[in-house]
Amino acid sequence: MNVIQATLTGVLIGGLYALMAAGLSVTWGVLRIINLAHFGLILIGAYLTFQIATSWHLDPVLTLVITVPAMFIAGAAIQWLFDRLRLTEFNSLLVSFGLLIIIIQVTSNIWSADFRRMSAGTNPYATQSVAIGRLVFPVTTLLAFGLAALVVLAAHLVLRRTFAGRAMRAIAQDRAVAGAFGVDHRRLSVLLGGVVGATAALAGMVFSLSNALTPDTAYEWFGTVFAVVILGGIGEVVGTFAAGILVGVLSGVVSAVWSPAAAPFVLFSAIILALLLRPQGLFAVGGVR
Amino acid sequence: MSEPLLQVRDLDVRYGDAQALWDVAIEVHEGETVCVVGPNGAGKSTLVNAVAGIHPAHRGRISVGGVDVTRLRGHRVCGHGVAIVPEGRRIFPRMTVLDNLVLGAYRKGARREHRASLAGVYEIFPRLAERAGQLAGSLSGGEQQMVAVGRALMAQPRLLLLDEPSLGLAPVRVDEVYDAIVRINERGVSVVVVEQDVERALAIAGRAYLLGEGRVVLAGPADALRDSDDVRRSVLGL
Repeated sequence: MNVIQATLTGVLIGGLYALMAAGLSVTWGVLRIINLAHFGLILIGAYLTFQIATSWHLDPVLTLVITVPAMFIAGAAIQWLFDRLRLTEFNSLLVSFGLLIIIIQVTSNIWSADFRRMSAGTNPYATQSVAIGRLVFPVTTLLAFGLAALVVLAAHLVLRRTFAGRAMRAIAQDRAVAGAFGVDHRRLSVLLGGVVGATAALAGMVFSLSNALTPDTAYEWFGTVFAVVILGGIGEVVGTFAAGILVGVLSGVVSAVWSPAAAPFVLFSAIILALLLRPQGLFAVGGVR
Repeated sequence: MSEPLLQVRDLDVRYGDAQALWDVAIEVHEGETVCVVGPNGAGKSTLVNAVAGIHPAHRGRISVGGVDVTRLRGHRVCGHGVAIVPEGRRIFPRMTVLDNLVLGAYRKGARREHRASLAGVYEIFPRLAERAGQLAGSLSGGEQQMVAVGRALMAQPRLLLLDEPSLGLAPVRVDEVYDAIVRINERGVSVVVVEQDVERALAIAGRAYLLGEGRVVLAGPADALRDSDDVRRSVLGL
């Protein structure tokens, strides 16, 4: 029973990992930019949810009305900046890491380095759960999983079925030829940056529902989220979702039957093994690259 | 004579410090098939890439249908009716054949009619209709070349640029591609073919240019070039 509960909880938490990783993966795959500032945007999304919900007594989910457009603009602006700087894949890692440090510094100046958490009155979701027999699912993780599934499905459909989506995949594969057929790389990259920023707002909101916030949280996401991106295959949204679930289940089960301290060890051993066997990503089936 | 569809004048193109084209001038009139021949490294690909907006011009003027496109950003050139079949095909290997073709119709003017264009492409290359759902990278070389030509047609070009369409193909596949080029030209699309397979290109062209070391060495009717000593020496190696 313990293991079943741990597995199912892992699946749901995997949704949050996927939500955090999807934007990073697509930006990397399509634009060849490894945008570490994405973690900063998730962090800001989380703090904004906390702040708006606390000061205006708004339902935390409703804060999306403000945070999604705000983070869209932030994401688009960052991508516009990257484009002006003509970053290579490796340079993007350095520049966006610098940007992340700035964001974390600014966040701790505004909200301090202390833990911040929405009060029970502001955040009704934290204490609710759904019970099926003896299995219990917190509403927050159900929400994370649902949102992740929606985002991944929408991204998948847009990439497959629309002119803009095809253009993004084409950019990923041959930017010059895509340009010769009218694909404006600059415009699309700003648009993509905006959409990815909006997903950061979603991920930040979901994270703030069930966790206390501190600026350093952003660094703690690195390992798990990069693991999800690489296991899923760079640029593969559906793969990212599957990898998120796999990582969630693996950490959950190892924590339950062995020890939470062993989870990172098992997780990263599994990743090294997976990369040796399938370096293109476990779930790479034909994404953007 | 009316104004040419494509007019290139005084064109210089550079790759960093290395200059690839000097003072190149060519013209293509409505409905013509023109071929550009020359030895390896003569600048043939550079010329068509400059016309298609893939590589910027350093000096000179390129106009399409009377409109100066020299300083346009690359993705705007196709809006004036230019489409390219690049050297080595450069299809999008991890997209399906259908997605490759539909991407060809990305430009605003072609997007709305992409279904009609698709029917036209399938008429010329029925095999692409059978392969529509396959990843383009999994096709044979000849089929990939069809995808590249089909993708260019989806843009509804007035001017079609083909860069070495015979490269790496079995002779029977080359025949198919050249038959298609002739049919496309018969539908009113002007064609520029860049080729190393000189005999083949001269056979379908009305006029031809011989490029050597980045300059136009010789220009004239295709028949005249075929018999010229310059062409025989520089390209055919006779």
